[in-house]
Amino acid sequence: MNPSAALASILGPRRTLSRLLHDSRTRIALVVLLIVALSAVFAPLLAPYDPTVQLDIVRLPSQPPSFAHPLGTDPYSRDVLSRLLYGGRISLAVGLGAVLLAMSFGIAIGAVAGFIGGAVDAVLMRFVDAALSIPRLLVLILVASLWGSLGLVPLTLLMAGTGWFAVSRLVRAETLALREREFIVAARALGASPMRILVRHVLPNVAAPALVAAALGIANVILLEAGLSYLGIGVRPPTASWGAIIQDGAERVSDLWWLTLFPGLAILVTVFACNALGDALRDAFDPRQLPRGNDPTFAAEA
Amino acid sequence: MRRFFAGRLAQAVIVVFLVTTITFLLVHLAPGDPISVALDKPGVTEAVRQQWREAFGLDRPLGEQYLRWLGNAARGELGWSFSFRRPVRDVIADALPRTLLLVGLSMVFSFALGIVVAVLQTERPGGRRDRWFGRILLLLYSVPDFWLALVVLLLFAYRLPIFPPSGIVAPVVHDYMSFSGRLIDRLLHLVLPVTTLTLLATAAISRHQRSALAEVMPSDWMRTAIAKGVSHRRAVRRHALRNALLPSITLAGLYLPALAAGALFVEKVYSWPGMGLLAANAIVARDYPLITASVLITSIAVALGALLADVAAAAADPRIRVS
Amino acid sequence: MLRTSRRFSFRATRSTSAAIAGVLLVGCTEVKEQPKSAGPADVGGTMVVATPAEPGSILPGLYSTSIERQVTDLLFDRLAEIGDGLNSIGDKGFKPQLATRWEWSPDSLSIVFHLDPRARWHDGQPVRATDVRYSVNLIKDPAFGSPMASSTTNVDSVSVRDSLTAVAHFKRHTPEQFFDLVYQVSIVPEHILGNTPPAQLKTAEVARRGIGSGRFRLGKWEQGKSLELVADTLNYRGRPKLDRIVYSLSLDFNSAVARLFTGDADFFEQLRPENMAKLATDTALRALPYPSLQHTFLALNTIDPAHPGQPNPIFADRAVRRALTMAVDRAGMLRNVFGVMAHPSYGPFPRFLGVADTTLPQLPYDTVKARALLDSAGWTPGPDGVRSKNGQRLEFGITTTVSSASRKQYSVLLQEAFKRVGAVATVDAVDFAGAAAKLQGRSFQTVLVTFAPDPNVSGVRQAWSSAALGKDGLNYPSYVNPTVDALLDSATLAFDPARARAYSRRAFEIIIEDAPGIWLYEAPTVAGIHKRIHTTGLRADEYWAGMADWWIPASERTARDRIGLRPAATP
Repeated sequence: MNPSAALASILGPRRTLSRLLHDSRTRIALVVLLIVALSAVFAPLLAPYDPTVQLDIVRLPSQPPSFAHPLGTDPYSRDVLSRLLYGGRISLAVGLGAVLLAMSFGIAIGAVAGFIGGAVDAVLMRFVDAALSIPRLLVLILVASLWGSLGLVPLTLLMAGTGWFAVSRLVRAETLALREREFIVAARALGASPMRILVRHVLPNVAAPALVAAALGIANVILLEAGLSYLGIGVRPPTASWGAIIQDGAERVSDLWWLTLFPGLAILVTVFACNALGDALRDAFDPRQLPRGNDPTFAAEA
Repeated sequence: MRRFFAGRLAQAVIVVFLVTTITFLLVHLAPGDPISVALDKPGVTEAVRQQWREAFGLDRPLGEQYLRWLGNAARGELGWSFSFRRPVRDVIADALPRTLLLVGLSMVFSFALGIVVAVLQTERPGGRRDRWFGRILLLLYSVPDFWLALVVLLLFAYRLPIFPPSGIVAPVVHDYMSFSGRLIDRLLHLVLPVTTLTLLATAAISRHQRSALAEVMPSDWMRTAIAKGVSHRRAVRRHALRNALLPSITLAGLYLPALAAGALFVEKVYSWPGMGLLAANAIVARDYPLITASVLITSIAVALGALLADVAAAAADPRIRVS
Repeated sequence: MLRTSRRFSFRATRSTSAAIAGVLLVGCTEVKEQPKSAGPADVGGTMVVATPAEPGSILPGLYSTSIERQVTDLLFDRLAEIGDGLNSIGDKGFKPQLATRWEWSPDSLSIVFHLDPRARWHDGQPVRATDVRYSVNLIKDPAFGSPMASSTTNVDSVSVRDSLTAVAHFKRHTPEQFFDLVYQVSIVPEHILGNTPPAQLKTAEVARRGIGSGRFRLGKWEQGKSLELVADTLNYRGRPKLDRIVYSLSLDFNSAVARLFTGDADFFEQLRPENMAKLATDTALRALPYPSLQHTFLALNTIDPAHPGQPNPIFADRAVRRALTMAVDRAGMLRNVFGVMAHPSYGPFPRFLGVADTTLPQLPYDTVKARALLDSAGWTPGPDGVRSKNGQRLEFGITTTVSSASRKQYSVLLQEAFKRVGAVATVDAVDFAGAAAKLQGRSFQTVLVTFAPDPNVSGVRQAWSSAALGKDGLNYPSYVNPTVDALLDSATLAFDPARARAYSRRAFEIIIEDAPGIWLYEAPTVAGIHKRIHTTGLRADEYWAGMADWWIPASERTARDRIGLRPAATP
């Protein structure tokens, strides 16, 4: 399958793509995400300082925004602008990494449940039900605070490990629905492997909702990372993530407002862009292809 | 219907069982135990700690501890809280009503607000009002929970000291107020946390509500109603809302986990001594019985919510019962 | 949210008036001139104390947090009270409390205590010698599981001569035998607790009733809201000046502080540096500095946490420990975290300890020397700037608690300081339970420890001698030096305070040179208090010891002071 055909199979008819591109939300979201992504990628060129270096712990801690430090310094005399730029890398990397992994888990497990069915399906889906009924934040807090501050890789794995449930349900439902369809039955009779059926028939059908879920999922992971960091159990110091910058000033919100305001806005803008993109995607796709706007699984994973 | 209900109930029980079992294992496998926290001071010998572990059965194999916990939990015995030094039942009996008050009020307000906003939006779907509301709601939906709580706290408790910043009542003087004074005091303390939680929940609820309404809007009977000369607002109220109410009930049931999570941050920022703060503190203290009991309560609430949602949906749409 | 406890710390200190003056010099808000004492009209009023923690056990012998200890001390009495001099040798300076007087036997192996005949429990029953016997037996009973059990091992038993005379028998004559009994054991009522087996007192409801003989009795206690202490108006030691002390409970530092600044509370125990500016501009509040025994250092583990029993591949080497100490700009860090408020730490002791010496020579801050020392110890820099020796990289973790803002800040500052001499430190911020488990199991590379020893020489021995190795002791770095052991033993056994000080001084000197820890700071202990409340002298071990004599002049009363002893309306 060539790339444009692949895109077409995901986005459906050309109408969808043009609807998507004419949506003002898409344009705003793409511009914002492009700026955030570029500034993250080129952080080493853009940042005036090393994000972890303590410039002068006696003379420069907790300086309000100034010409030398446009976003001020933190209590460790580190430059907040530099940390914010590098923090974008962390937040985006964790968000993207976790969502990609979660999608893979979700697809694999959903497909297994759907194809094998029976007891395996029942057990997996009861587990998913159970997992969806605990607030995701509670699980994250439980694990993160029980095992101490996490490195980036464990944090990403943890986010992925708690983010695949809804997707697996989606894939399972689609697999079950297709399994009985005549052309699948025929394909199987002709010896097509489950893998081939998954790739050729199931995935294209779930691609649209999965894409929406991915956009919303990235937003969600960024929010969760910030929440954990606010509680002091997010990424390990001196790593700069947006949540970690807020945490560095959380004890003194009223006088070190720049440590709460700027990273907070960065989170808000990025999450807003991801959510807007998700919404635009949802509206652009053929509505019948998608879970309804009030699909509970998406609410539950929030 | 009865069979359907029994099936869902059995599912709910299994879910609660799984959740608490996983939690039990998770907390027991984590480094540290309640005794190492409760007895961490100069001069405490390991023998004393060991004696406490034995007294509470923490030296037994994990499997045995688990079976005993299961047996006790089945009889409604939730154990003894190491950090509060009280029976877990009493600790939760104090904290749970406070969270229910907070979450309950926010739920009522956010549904009311969410539905009103959704109706206003769908009067002319795609119109200017719809789009602007949509953007504002999306923005609100994208705000980190704790950040919104912090900003509201800073603005309305510190910069403009209108509302009390923390707690459920004024310390000390509350008990000596007149009845109406006490009532006002309670309400004042509720304003900021409830407002924050309501804002957070409204964003999600009205987004879902709007798409539910938008879906029924173009239906034949709506068009008929409007053609018959019924005003749009009336048509929405009479017909569309009734049809969109069902997804709301479903959503209310299923939105509980998210609301519980939001409540955690709100309770932390406003120092509201409810279940969220209780659970978070219990984790730090490795208060095993209190952690598992908090998760048990939360998962029961969530399972009940899901059950209600399923039953409501089934009651309205017989086809669901079959699937 | 996380329990803001400073549990490593609260064993206390002794405060002398000189000590208080010393703290005042540090430069907080000046203390206003106060009337010397309260007149008869000045009895009454309510003090609200904001606390960031919820008390659990308030039974003497079972408490563990600072707030629990404070409440317990106000509800219960000891036989005698350690005087303002905080002397722990013999009985010099001790003042009568439940015992009006005491006599030593000629061989010093037993002491006869005569109880105050007027002493009553809060339920009206008289305090008897049998209560003293019961209290000592309870603490010593392994089934009771008291954390204080180990400090009373030298007390053999208590016999009852008559209802008001108890005789304590000791195993050995030691300098601190009186202290061991009188300071560590509060007297509890047998008729209330005696019916419950000691093993079940941990969870018994009766342990939360707080019936003691102290000048305050327990009033209402509502989880998450408040705990009230009410004046015991008929107390044998006199009615407290205050009508009530109300602990306003919250579970978070910031919201507890906020209650002080909004006027909902009158007292907050330990303000952070960032609160001081606001305090200075607040017209209703003043700063109340008080001495304490808390001190903080980075403990360098000399044994390998991965292979217990083996020497640590990095910190077993004295040269590495010394080099890392020299890499740290301790004065700069102090300025960064505390501004001008705090004191540096001068060695393995808090400066208010009786045997402290703040003039001992220190290792200098000198990164050039630090690098040279590491070079000569065989740790050579690799291409990435990180040193290594025989394949072992100079890489280690700094364990700290999430809940302590200043320790967390220090960990990040240290991380950067070590990086500058070619060492990689990862900050391992764990919650309180994680830190406690790591400390007790010695499973850390380095850890930021804040703790306050007992106010006696044994307190130092508890932390730095090889007798304190293993899980029972507080020798977190597992530091072993036979000379230090001998010196500390001699100090503990000296009946002459001057000799105890001389031995300790030499031990401290050696410990500082060996650098098993990097001595960082003594956190400022400054309370915020409402100006209308007048305090008495504050002891370093328990600043609350005189709280029953704090008072509010009649002319300065506010609405909540006028509530008096009237019980709350039923809701």
